[in-house]
Amino acid sequence: MDVTIFLQLVISGLLIGFVFSLIAVGLTLIWGVMDILNFAHGDFLMLAMFSAFLMFANLGIDPVFSLPVIVGLLFFIGLLTFRLVIKPVLGYHALIALLATFGLSIFIRNVVLFFLGPDFRVINQSVLAGKRISFLGLHLSLPQLVSAIGCVLITYVVYLFISKSKFGRALRATALDKDTALLMGINTNRVFALTFGLGAACVGAAGGFLVNFYYVFPEVGLNFAILSFVIVALGGFGNIGGAFLAGILVGLVENIGGFFVGPEFKYTLVFILYLIVISLRPKGLFGW
Amino acid sequence: MKKSIILALFLILLLGISSAVNAAEEVEVALLYPLSGPLTEAGKRMKSVYEVAAEVINGSYDIQGVPYAKTEGIPGLNGAKITLKFYDTQGSPEVGKAETERILQEGTAKLIIGAYQSAVSKPTSFVAERHKFPFLCAVSSSAALTERGLKYFFRVAPTDFHDSRMFFNFLDDMRKQGKKVENVAIVYEKTEFGVHAMKEVKKRVDESKGVYQVVADVPYAFKSTDVNAEVLKIKAAKPDVIIHATLFSEMTLFAKTYENLGVKSNANLSFCGGYQNPKFASQLKDTVEGYMGSCTFAEDFIRKKAQLKTINDMYKAKTDMNLDGIAMEGFTTLFVAVDAFSRAKSTDPESVTKALRTTELVIATLPGKGVKFDENGQNIWIDSTMSQIQKGEYKVVWPNEWATTAMAWPMRP
Repeated sequence: MDVTIFLQLVISGLLIGFVFSLIAVGLTLIWGVMDILNFAHGDFLMLAMFSAFLMFANLGIDPVFSLPVIVGLLFFIGLLTFRLVIKPVLGYHALIALLATFGLSIFIRNVVLFFLGPDFRVINQSVLAGKRISFLGLHLSLPQLVSAIGCVLITYVVYLFISKSKFGRALRATALDKDTALLMGINTNRVFALTFGLGAACVGAAGGFLVNFYYVFPEVGLNFAILSFVIVALGGFGNIGGAFLAGILVGLVENIGGFFVGPEFKYTLVFILYLIVISLRPKGLFGW
Repeated sequence: MKKSIILALFLILLLGISSAVNAAEEVEVALLYPLSGPLTEAGKRMKSVYEVAAEVINGSYDIQGVPYAKTEGIPGLNGAKITLKFYDTQGSPEVGKAETERILQEGTAKLIIGAYQSAVSKPTSFVAERHKFPFLCAVSSSAALTERGLKYFFRVAPTDFHDSRMFFNFLDDMRKQGKKVENVAIVYEKTEFGVHAMKEVKKRVDESKGVYQVVADVPYAFKSTDVNAEVLKIKAAKPDVIIHATLFSEMTLFAKTYENLGVKSNANLSFCGGYQNPKFASQLKDTVEGYMGSCTFAEDFIRKKAQLKTINDMYKAKTDMNLDGIAMEGFTTLFVAVDAFSRAKSTDPESVTKALRTTELVIATLPGKGVKFDENGQNIWIDSTMSQIQKGEYKVVWPNEWATTAMAWPMRP
């Protein structure tokens, strides 16, 4: 087998894996701190992609430059979601919050469908579009390369923020024991709200990058949401580093496994890996 | 008191009579399409084209070569108007089946038209068959649909058989001109549509007795998040020609990934599906320059049949897009239904089915003579052409009798 093809498979797997990682980091943050599985996570991704597309189509702002606005917007949407959907059901059975996010997911998708229609949209004239770096027979698509680097950087910043900052300590304390954190003077509701905002901002950044090389339509989030649930479970619920590494692993398995076993089985391979890991380590690869 | 009871009874009677009159003046057709879910965009386009077709049938339009355009309503039923009722399959065979049952239970529709995907047309038409109810299929292309021996199922569109035969006639022609086309890669989604399309391609390859070889056989999962592994498998095989059976979402991913990973082939041919969606050409522009595919209608056809401009304009006013092959197949299908009602002079399912079996509708909307069904319900008067995307527009480039523009070969010099 041609070595360049194998190297290309590894590179392609890594590039898409980094994007998966950032999507999953947002999800794992919310789960780790609040024990809530956000079913609307994929729809947040879709909102980010649509926002980037609309800014490009209507205002001519390239997705690379609209990224900070998209991240801010999704942070705000996260806060709003917490205030209007999650907070009223906190303290009740976890299933209620899960169903609330499920309802929110359907609501968001249908609102977008109603106002923007079902059409597929593609950004093909952005600053990065169609550009690539080629060397030694290998090709790196610039939109994917920039997205991958961006996703790694943001994941690292989030990791640093959680592990080093004062808010990060409060967040970890809340995740470990909410009641004790409250007794220590931590405003847990504020922590929850900011966590939801941060999780949404992460997926917003991923959406802002993804729109450079992926099509947009109201159901686009579903394709990624299922994979990100697997990644979160694989990496260990609530573990940012775990989600990051599991995202890369899924990207590599999908690409390399898909090539050698057959592309139609690439998701089967991901789910087989997931089942093996879960049966051996129920808390995921890096869970505790 | 008595007076008011009599008045109420009189009003109820009047209402009954008036609805009976309405029933006689209107013929309802049920349409099964994906109006939500991942194929909503395609479903909505189909909805628009049927609304245009109903407008032409119910109104009076001077469109040469299109029967029932000039007359108002269904001539054989004293000008009864066609009404459309849409049912959402959500792109799911199970939902499609349930909706078909609902149509039959409601009992107001006189014929069913549907569904978009072959995988949905298959079970829904079985339900109609069980109830001995006529089912007209407009666009599903799996050849297997008309190989099931159904008596109430009829299809207007060409099948994968027709398209694959056209592809290989085209490739034979290219070979004669000394162009390299022998090594073929086949790429298809693992659904009824993709699997059957490629079965037909493999049959044509076998029939060529070694002239053509499948150097890469690449099925993939519908709703993929990326297609790098698929494209690298194709790249490793170095094909001369790539043949796709792919819907719009993945087709855009494939096109972008071919470009990103530097895959080059002499030709990239597509069955109906993503390639035919006008947005494929208009949104991806240079990325898809030179792509080719089967085509039963493109705006370019108007250069050969100027009278079709009226229909294209009506559709464009609704959707802001030009008609494509799939839309025109839908348009024609409603005329087949009207033709059957008109000749049957009845809406009774058996009479309509009998009329459908003897259809010989000469209509200028599609390549070929029009619509005539064989004993399996497949239209045998339909033909297909090869179009190519050139500067964001679909141009008919083969065969010569339909070609309006010279073909670009190889697809990217």
